[in-house]
Amino acid sequence: MEATAKASFTGHDSPAKTEKRSWLFTRPTATTGLVSWLTTVDHKRIGFLYGVCALFFFLVGGFEALLIRLQLIVPNNTLLSANTYNEMFTMHATTMIFLAVMPLSAAFFNYMMPLQIGARDVAFPRLNGFAFWVFLAGAIVLNIGWFVKSGAPDMGWFGYAPMTSHQFADRFAGDMSTDLWIMGLQILGVSSVVGSLNFIVTIINMRAPGLTMMRLPVFTWMTLFTAFLIILSFPAITIALVELMMDRSFGTGFFEVSQGGLPVLWQHLFWIFGHPEVYILILPAMGIISEILPTFSRKPLFGYPIVVFSGAVIGFLGFGVWSHHMFTTGMGTVATAAFSLATMAIAVPTGVKIFNWVGTLWGGHLSMRTPMMFALGFIWMFMFGGFSGIMHSAAPADAQQQDSYFVVAHFHYVLIGGSIFALLAGIHFWFPLMFGRKVSEKAGKLSFWIIFIGFNTTFFPMHFLGLNGMPRRTFTYDGNMGWNSANFIATIGALILGLGIAYYFYVMIWTYFKGEKVKHDVWDARTLEWAVPTYPPPAHNFHVTPTVHARDAFWYEKTHQEEIAKEKAAHAKDEESHGGIHMPSQSWFPLIVTLGLLIGAIFFVNHNYVGAIIGGAILVLGIYGWAIEGPGGYHLHVDKEGNVTRDDSH
Amino acid sequence: MLALPLLVGGWVSGPQSTFETAGPVARSQTGLMYVTLIVVMAIFVIVAGVLTYATFKFKAKDESGEKAPVPPQGHGNPLVELGLIGASVFALVIIAIPTVKGIWYTYDVPEAERANAYEVTAIGYQWWFKFEYPSEQIDNVGTLVNANELVIPAGRPVRINLRTFDVIHSFWVPKLAGKVDMMPNRGNHLWLQADEPGYFWGQCAEYCGDSHAVMRFRVIALAEDEFAAWVAQQKQPARTVTAQAEAPRPALAGYTFTNPGRNAPGWTREFDSDPLGNWRKMQAVPSAEDAALIAHGRQLFQEKNCITCHTVRGHEGGGVTAPDLTHVGSRTTIAGGLLENSPENLHRWLRFPDEVKPGNKMWLGIGGMANVSMQGYVHWDPETRSFTDKRNIEVDDDEARALVAYLHSLK
Repeated sequence: MEATAKASFTGHDSPAKTEKRSWLFTRPTATTGLVSWLTTVDHKRIGFLYGVCALFFFLVGGFEALLIRLQLIVPNNTLLSANTYNEMFTMHATTMIFLAVMPLSAAFFNYMMPLQIGARDVAFPRLNGFAFWVFLAGAIVLNIGWFVKSGAPDMGWFGYAPMTSHQFADRFAGDMSTDLWIMGLQILGVSSVVGSLNFIVTIINMRAPGLTMMRLPVFTWMTLFTAFLIILSFPAITIALVELMMDRSFGTGFFEVSQGGLPVLWQHLFWIFGHPEVYILILPAMGIISEILPTFSRKPLFGYPIVVFSGAVIGFLGFGVWSHHMFTTGMGTVATAAFSLATMAIAVPTGVKIFNWVGTLWGGHLSMRTPMMFALGFIWMFMFGGFSGIMHSAAPADAQQQDSYFVVAHFHYVLIGGSIFALLAGIHFWFPLMFGRKVSEKAGKLSFWIIFIGFNTTFFPMHFLGLNGMPRRTFTYDGNMGWNSANFIATIGALILGLGIAYYFYVMIWTYFKGEKVKHDVWDARTLEWAVPTYPPPAHNFHVTPTVHARDAFWYEKTHQEEIAKEKAAHAKDEESHGGIHMPSQSWFPLIVTLGLLIGAIFFVNHNYVGAIIGGAILVLGIYGWAIEGPGGYHLHVDKEGNVTRDDSH
Repeated sequence: MLALPLLVGGWVSGPQSTFETAGPVARSQTGLMYVTLIVVMAIFVIVAGVLTYATFKFKAKDESGEKAPVPPQGHGNPLVELGLIGASVFALVIIAIPTVKGIWYTYDVPEAERANAYEVTAIGYQWWFKFEYPSEQIDNVGTLVNANELVIPAGRPVRINLRTFDVIHSFWVPKLAGKVDMMPNRGNHLWLQADEPGYFWGQCAEYCGDSHAVMRFRVIALAEDEFAAWVAQQKQPARTVTAQAEAPRPALAGYTFTNPGRNAPGWTREFDSDPLGNWRKMQAVPSAEDAALIAHGRQLFQEKNCITCHTVRGHEGGGVTAPDLTHVGSRTTIAGGLLENSPENLHRWLRFPDEVKPGNKMWLGIGGMANVSMQGYVHWDPETRSFTDKRNIEVDDDEARALVAYLHSLK
């Protein structure tokens, strides 16, 4: 802002000591408009971008799901061709997992986790922006197929070899649908790993004073576990994808049967990633639920250490159960038994979480607001999904259930009833914080009930379809198999669910523009993110870095107001004497590096190696620019009335 | 809770129901499923009861209730936690013991019965199943093969070696046994046993490309003597109806054909009412046959190049990449178990294979679409990703009638 205002706070009346830099490395400072979004390093804006993109792809994936269900509404339907149907279920799964649930979780990690630990931003703000842009690049690459001759990938989201080989996947010489899928997933892997490393460093290093690990909000704990799961599991699929890319592009024989390759190797590599991925999808949801239930029960989480520890145990055991996706591949008795028992063992820490959530309700004063409705819906639906999960941990029983609609029912109970319900709950819960407005209870609850009823109508009958012998991934079925009515009901349910989701979005968008404005601390909340001075929070989050004295830090603040006020005043002075609030500078380079990656990837997939090298050059030069540009940074000063001034000197 | 399946009636019975088991392997698997179901239902009743009680008991009655003094800020109770963990472990042990037993039981034929077991090899192709009978050797030919219909002796364990010709498939006959995958470069197996003679539906359970949904098969279990008679009959070369080839007389073929279109069903209630009886009927030689039409069909079978991929042992054809048709007239299904083997359905399959089974090799050719090494009915141009106007094989209605007559004569 104006230098005069600045001088009065800092006492620096000498001209700013900014060194002269070439235009190439001038940091953008726009706070509104397109440039501010393209160059943003603010974790809240990045979280918002993640959220918007994730919700967009959630709608895309949902549309694909509706087409799948409409094809199956009656036997022998001809709405979709076999090939289109196969593209639909491949892209539905890929989209929902990688482009909807994971980035929606990442949206909350980005937005809430730094607030929950009382930080001003994540540890590496530019890297954070990079993670988002790379995610978007991966999403684009995955979906290019719809718009080109190759078509979307159609070998299933699991890409089992040898279905991904030239012989079985390609419809013409140079068919790149499978290559786009391989490349898209690799790019998304970069985004996830980069983002996760950032979160880990942030949580380990940037907690507010007094915020010991065992005082961390559970959502932050789950962020940490999820981040570790991502950095440990993504290497497995990256290896598999690189090997597959080698097979397809350079004629190696990792999975090529005619060269002695082993398709079962792909399955092991894929599921060593794929099973932790399941927990990558559900742990953030568990974290959100563990925030919402205490808030609306008005008491602390029951058994906090056990909930945290069971999250760690789930993450750990999650790496030892991958072969339960492969019970039918003929692993032999001992391996099957070992993975069967390990899978049962993982039910214990998961069950513990449910017990503790019920324990949290016990003795509370439950306020049945919309987020609480979704959270309770989560417990019920997740319980169903967990039970069917236990049922197919018994390998011989699973031999009848695997790749049938019973499994489809199971994981939709876990992923919609679990992850999506929790994420929808989280949107409701944190909406006042993010936008200063609140969804009307009537509209929120109505959307909950439509979604809840639609969801159960869709997926409950699928348990019976599966046990009645209907295999997955089938574009048609005959009318004499006893599957007609259950399929019909499931499709009607899907339409209801779609209606519910559409209404949910309508309500959210309406509320964003016209919703009721909220007062501070609208839910009587417990954790630190609600302690920000305004809703939505200012760019620097907190006027004064909070000091944490107890587990539910904000609750403690509210019950010890005098003590905290004194402490804050002292800390404000302290912080000012160190130059004020230190903020990260915006940067173009995350976007430039990503553009290089995107250009290179698209040309590589097209076997245009000149273009690939140009893209690679942009990427490398962008990284150099990123390094030379340096970390940057500026200071903010807040006066007693909460007015903020910017100071670009050092 | 065992009554739950009864409550939803039709949802638990059907040709591929895992509830209606017909052999010891499927029975043990479904039995284990019931154990897990009972255990989780018991846990569910308890947890759901407590959750429901807590939700209503502690629900704030109104706004003022929400603003009431905060409840005690309890952080939990270690004894409750440990107790619940212990109970969960106990519940899982109840499942674990029969699970481990079941894994060993279902893996291979029990030691005591191994000598009595009948061995078959099942091979998955995109999108049909080939069955080989290694213990049934034919002089100067080799192993007896059959396609899409696995005929086995009832009351005797059958060990099935599982192989694949191309991608991963999965062999699943829900009433007899859970699925085991057919993996490239890996020799899998399963065993099953049909208690009584019967007719069972099976289906590929691992996504294997365009027509995965319509890759089906049947298992027919027969009493020992009937099975022996079947094997003896199958070992015979193709049946020949002798007559001179004359001009085709389609009016005599005895059916009218209209194309029912893509994905149209190929089953009938009459057949489903007594499938095993209908299978037996298919074995019988019809009393009246149009010898001239059959001879014309046999000639077309060569002219239309069917012989490149199909074998009719004793007649023409030595192809091995497609189902052996030596006794195709005695099978109850065609097109990979998809259509009942009626003249109309066979006619439809010969005239419009792509509308029955998208992407099938007879239509598209073999070798993979990006690099077709052997063209099928149509000429696929991989460069333009479209069919050219050129047809390699054309079958008109009259020719289809002749081919139907010929193939149906192959009892």
